[in-house]
Amino acid sequence: MALREAVSSFRTASRAALRPLPQYHTNALAVRYNSTAALDSASEDLEPSSSFGASAPQEDLVAQFDPLSWSRGRKKQLPPSRYRYRPPKYYRGPLHPNQPPPESDPASRAFRPGPFMKTRLEQTHEATIAADYMTLVYQHYPPGTRPSKSGQRLREWVGDSPYFENRPLRAPRGGTTLSPVRKPITFRNVPRITGVTVHSFCKDGISESAYIHVASMIVQSVTNVRCQTHESRTTVQQWAYKARRTVAVKAKLDVDDAHDFLGKTIDMVMPKIKDYSGVSGTSGDSCGNISFGFTPEQVAYYPEVEAIFDQYPPQMIPGFHVTVHTSAVNDRDARLLLEAYGIPFYGKHVN
Amino acid sequence: MAGGRLATVHHQVSSVLLRPHIQPSLSVPTPSPLRNTTTAIQSSRQTQSCFSTSAPRPARKGAVQQVDPRVTNIRYHLFHPRVPRPLRFSRLRALRHWTIHRAWQMFKAKTNTQREKELERQYQSMARACEELRLTDENGMRVSEADANGNKKVGRLFRIAMEKKRVWGPGKGFPIEYARAQTDYPPRNGWNHEWTR
Repeated sequence: MALREAVSSFRTASRAALRPLPQYHTNALAVRYNSTAALDSASEDLEPSSSFGASAPQEDLVAQFDPLSWSRGRKKQLPPSRYRYRPPKYYRGPLHPNQPPPESDPASRAFRPGPFMKTRLEQTHEATIAADYMTLVYQHYPPGTRPSKSGQRLREWVGDSPYFENRPLRAPRGGTTLSPVRKPITFRNVPRITGVTVHSFCKDGISESAYIHVASMIVQSVTNVRCQTHESRTTVQQWAYKARRTVAVKAKLDVDDAHDFLGKTIDMVMPKIKDYSGVSGTSGDSCGNISFGFTPEQVAYYPEVEAIFDQYPPQMIPGFHVTVHTSAVNDRDARLLLEAYGIPFYGKHVN
Repeated sequence: MAGGRLATVHHQVSSVLLRPHIQPSLSVPTPSPLRNTTTAIQSSRQTQSCFSTSAPRPARKGAVQQVDPRVTNIRYHLFHPRVPRPLRFSRLRALRHWTIHRAWQMFKAKTNTQREKELERQYQSMARACEELRLTDENGMRVSEADANGNKKVGRLFRIAMEKKRVWGPGKGFPIEYARAQTDYPPRNGWNHEWTR
């Protein structure tokens, strides 16, 4: 290190010695810059003539040019492709010059008329559930006080080691992921349902695509959303499970479809299930998303499936898992919200 | 040559066999059976009554196995593109649509703001009520902040309210009777507690 510094200092010193002294120009015209020098040498390569020297168009050409009379003299209208804007068929990214129209425009391919009204469950949430939830969990903090903060989320390094100084904080105990902080519920953050994911795993789809197609059709008809498919990743010999085969279908529902689907589930499917104890209280990903499942017999209770039950091969009707995504940041709040919607929970509640 | 002819004959036979199954249940045209041969599956258990439970084996290698017509129907509707061309409006109609769309957006924004303000109003009045309870003594008289500190006789109702006793946990929170979505014509008797299976 010290040797390298010595060498570099010697270099700078020698360079300073070799540098010529600055010259002060008394005559400004004598200044020669590199750019002008290069221009002189390159002037042979440049084209001497320019368009500025070109002659004006002929007189008869000028007299002939009359686009207004051409368009007036046209017997038939131009075809629409000559004047009408044509949006691109597919979205080619934000940088493409030809952008599709917004989704609210009827000319857009993604245009869907509506929604003309809110779903029943959403109306109920806005009318009663939101206010009742806020009232139920209201926690009062007298003026001048703040909710007490929980302990350190990222831990400091405690010890005598000099390396602990300025070291980034330690990850939380028991894992590397930070769970979200729960803020007190106010009128701004009353939990609501943000979406639903319906997922159906059909292992028989490895050997027969019909299982996937039937599952896709049932999930699509029940949720009103076109399904995505998923492939298996690994091969497991003992289970006759092969990699890169379509084994699952999934539908991701946005707010409207989610409320519609949940309304059906709560009012029409769950009451029909015999001896239904409800959703397990231990369900949840500890971030406010609750999952539960339905067996093939229970899926057959959905009105869309029940109405045309004989149109499906009975042994191919799939079961599926439903994940309700809420804007709550922990399972306790999400569970209370789903209870208000009418989903029963059984057993111990794990948060 | 002979094999090719046999294969065509078999296709015709399969199409003839398929049609009686499809026709009573379907009102839509079905794709040609030739297309199904590429995704042939063996699941006609519910359409034919088999002698044995083992999977039926074709008499000849490469013979086409029959597909369940219900699966054929599902595949047809799943993969049949029915995307209409986008709507094209004239200038005035497009303008009319845009006006209505903007008005609807503004109406929605207004309604949302109204709802948020209502929630805020409720929250603020709850806060005011709790503050009043916190500084109320056993005689119902308001006391000052200094007197309320550490005084057990002041703010008893407030402390009880903040215990949140029957809010969190199994069997607490919202009762199942609460969870009734809004209807235009709700029943006169809300919840039938005497109901048994």
